[in-house]
Amino acid sequence: MTPIRKLFIANRAEIALRIVRTARRMGIATVLPWHAADSHGPALQEADEKVQLFGEPPVSAFLDIAGLVRAARDTGCDAVHPGYGFLSENAAFARAVVEAGLVFVGPPADAIELMGDKISARRFAQEQGVPVTPSADEADDPVGFAERARAVGLPLLIKGAAGGGGKGMQIVREPAKLPDAIAVARRESERYFGDGRLFAERFVERPRHIEVQVFGDAHGHVVHLGERECSIQRRFQKLVEETPAPGLDPGLRERICSAAVTLAKAAGYVNAGTVECIVSPQREFFFLEMNTRLQVEHPVTEMVTGLDLVEWQLRVAAGEPLPLKQDQLRWHGHAIEARLLAEDADAGFVPDTGRVRLLRWPQGPGLRIDGGVTSGAPVTADFDSMLAKLVAHGASRELAISRLQQALAETVLLGVTVNADYLGRVLRHPAFAQGETDTGFLERHREALLPAPLRDDERRLLLAVAARALPDPSDRPAPQPYVAMGAWRN
Amino acid sequence: MNSFHFNGSHYRAWQEPGSDRVRVDDAIVSVQPDGAHRFVAGLQGRSERLHAVADGDRVWVHWRGRAWALERVDPTRSSSVGGAAAAGIAHAPMPGVMVSLLVMQGQPVAEGDALLVIESMKLQTTICAAIDGVVAELPCAVGQSFQRGAVLAHLQAVEPAP
Repeated sequence: MTPIRKLFIANRAEIALRIVRTARRMGIATVLPWHAADSHGPALQEADEKVQLFGEPPVSAFLDIAGLVRAARDTGCDAVHPGYGFLSENAAFARAVVEAGLVFVGPPADAIELMGDKISARRFAQEQGVPVTPSADEADDPVGFAERARAVGLPLLIKGAAGGGGKGMQIVREPAKLPDAIAVARRESERYFGDGRLFAERFVERPRHIEVQVFGDAHGHVVHLGERECSIQRRFQKLVEETPAPGLDPGLRERICSAAVTLAKAAGYVNAGTVECIVSPQREFFFLEMNTRLQVEHPVTEMVTGLDLVEWQLRVAAGEPLPLKQDQLRWHGHAIEARLLAEDADAGFVPDTGRVRLLRWPQGPGLRIDGGVTSGAPVTADFDSMLAKLVAHGASRELAISRLQQALAETVLLGVTVNADYLGRVLRHPAFAQGETDTGFLERHREALLPAPLRDDERRLLLAVAARALPDPSDRPAPQPYVAMGAWRN
Repeated sequence: MNSFHFNGSHYRAWQEPGSDRVRVDDAIVSVQPDGAHRFVAGLQGRSERLHAVADGDRVWVHWRGRAWALERVDPTRSSSVGGAAAAGIAHAPMPGVMVSLLVMQGQPVAEGDALLVIESMKLQTTICAAIDGVVAELPCAVGQSFQRGAVLAHLQAVEPAP
């Protein structure tokens, strides 16, 4: 047992704040790094200590293994939580933390290496009897790779072997488009992961993305905390996540969850992990990949289980056994999360930047807001565009959706374009209410998800309020010609 | 009186001094402040609650879950660049980082030719030439970050042969 007294959080924004809160509840002090380009976060106000990081571009500070480990040691921390993104799935980071004599709040470096690499993880899954889609992996010769990729059959998905989060993924439906797709995927994979090796697999049409939260401890126990459906995606990035998966029959759910536990057990997996699957319309399921860290969407699991996954992570990292056995776990009601992003969803999900000028979070029963911004904070292109997660819980899926709709409508975040209204339109769509979700949902319903055009009187309403919201015009003398015009006509 | 650029058109709104009445087009809308950045305004005989905040020349308005940015137009300022000259300037559609330059200064390009690749929040986008021309300027180097609207490439239009 290695009790954790002081925790270094190698992350920022909402997840840093979320970890700080649990640590404080457990009596663990927290240290948070910060960069001059990102000094406004609420997490920085809540952490016990702050350490300034340097680097250009700013994101590089959060990818600097030596710098982060040094900062953790210099501040007297005994453990490091990587959050998600950044170095959370980097085996070298996990190893460097342990070699510095600190506890890494996550799986052992070997498990990250085995399960974090898509190629080795798939091979491992196959060995354990967990179904995977037909595929081709990259050899040294890129020409040979293209041939073997073509042999797998179209449509194909090309992606980086070391990647995650949808970065660098390309779908190929025509043989002629294959060379270009390989070139783009390789470029992006090299850029994001420093590893240009690629991986091609059969693209399952209309797949549902279903993942299983697993948890292992150092004493050989592994449990699952149920599944999450994350099919509402744009450009392979999740926007809406919920649990339980709507309409998933109990038999299939049991098979998927058992497969996830089998896989984690065989891998000697410790701490929080997520086994991602796709489920075809014919109810086949295929192992996709394993994320060896806490997921962005973990709050939905917390809301239906009543557990604190970060607490479990810290307990397991300290060497404690899992707090509950599989048959002691219970699930209550339905939870759904929406990601609030700084982007113009109606203009092709183009990211936006600006400064938060007005911020009003909604309140209500069954509602949880994990936010990483404050009023006055700049929203820049230096970091991820996710500003907050809105999560609603209810006894039924209908109630959870309805609460989340209300929360989105009552979220006032002005100064940068956000996707709150778009998310509300997704939740209101009849097909979503029916649980007809697959990863092509947003593209298929693109037209129906566009905002209604404004009527003339609605446009006048906005213009009138805008005029009224400007600084008092009496402070500025009115230009003479306008005064002379009097009751003008447009 | 204020002039706004909104949804591609210009509109004027004028608040009557000392009253809650704002004149827009030929209509009158009553707007009352209701706390910090909150307003109550009339629509078809009902009272609607809105939030609004000014941000320089931009006013953000939030109503029923949706937000709009209305640009205040200063009638004393106007754009002087237009036509082919404007079409030859490739602006950044979003803030991001330059990934690669596919052309060199002085190189002739045809409409539709790929000029450069930018990356913004996990998304790579290729910027193509909007006109036939010669690359006059590439102000942004590889690895350099830029804001939305920044000039990424400047093409000199080729005069059509007589």
